[in-house]
Amino acid sequence: MGVLNFFKSVPTMTADEAKRFMSEKHPDEYNLVDVRQPGEYERDHIPGANLIPMAELKDRLAEIDPEKPTIVY
Amino acid sequence: MLLGAGLKHIYSMEGGIRAWKGMVAHGVPEAGMAYFSPAADAEEIVGLAWALEEGSKFFYQGVADHFSNDKEAQEMFTWLVSAEKSHEKHLLETYEKLTGKKPDFVKLRTRFSDSLDGSVMEGGIPVKEALTWIKDKKVSESLELAIAMEVNAFDLYVKMSRAIEDKQAKQIFEKLSEEEQVHLQKLSELFDARL
Repeated sequence: MGVLNFFKSVPTMTADEAKRFMSEKHPDEYNLVDVRQPGEYERDHIPGANLIPMAELKDRLAEIDPEKPTIVY
Repeated sequence: MLLGAGLKHIYSMEGGIRAWKGMVAHGVPEAGMAYFSPAADAEEIVGLAWALEEGSKFFYQGVADHFSNDKEAQEMFTWLVSAEKSHEKHLLETYEKLTGKKPDFVKLRTRFSDSLDGSVMEGGIPVKEALTWIKDKKVSESLELAIAMEVNAFDLYVKMSRAIEDKQAKQIFEKLSEEEQVHLQKLSELFDARL
């Protein structure tokens, strides 16, 4: 990872935009990643979200299809 | 980290889950997935999904009977019974289309009777417990339970469509998740109308 990546900001989507995006697409067309802790995921999560806690992200990147758009929360 | 990982289009959802005003699912990531082994084949998946749909059908029929003095509620839940029936029919058609044969339900029933026994509905909720719960509840509360159940089923089917190895079984899960989405939309409309 280049040093410049640390200074790039991740594009954002509002919750409404995310909802619209998901309703227009098939769940197989995008990655939806919940980066919170397992307890938070267990309490509530967006249907279809894949739990990859922030601390595990580095080791579990292979679970995210790089060719598909990814929404993270 | 994700930007440097070669992901093409990545978006962070502003405000996270607190900003999300839509439906949410509950439970640990593997909730309900224990019923479906990622190595399962199309026949096994159809058999299990069919058994869970059957459980949901029993539940909705029980709710419809419970609210027999509320015509509108009864119609709602009777519609859900028919929706589950058509879901079952769809499952069978999908299976036949994918494999070119009819599933052997006698064999499948025997195979899963220990773990399901027709008593568990979508979302992994025991039918008997759910029917006991609604006894002193209002229609809106019963609809909320139905929505929660369908959301969890949708959540499970989407995750299974990603996790499952067998291509045909993957297609079945995709189809199931699409149909759950339709059930959810309809349920939400009914729920809003009753609020």
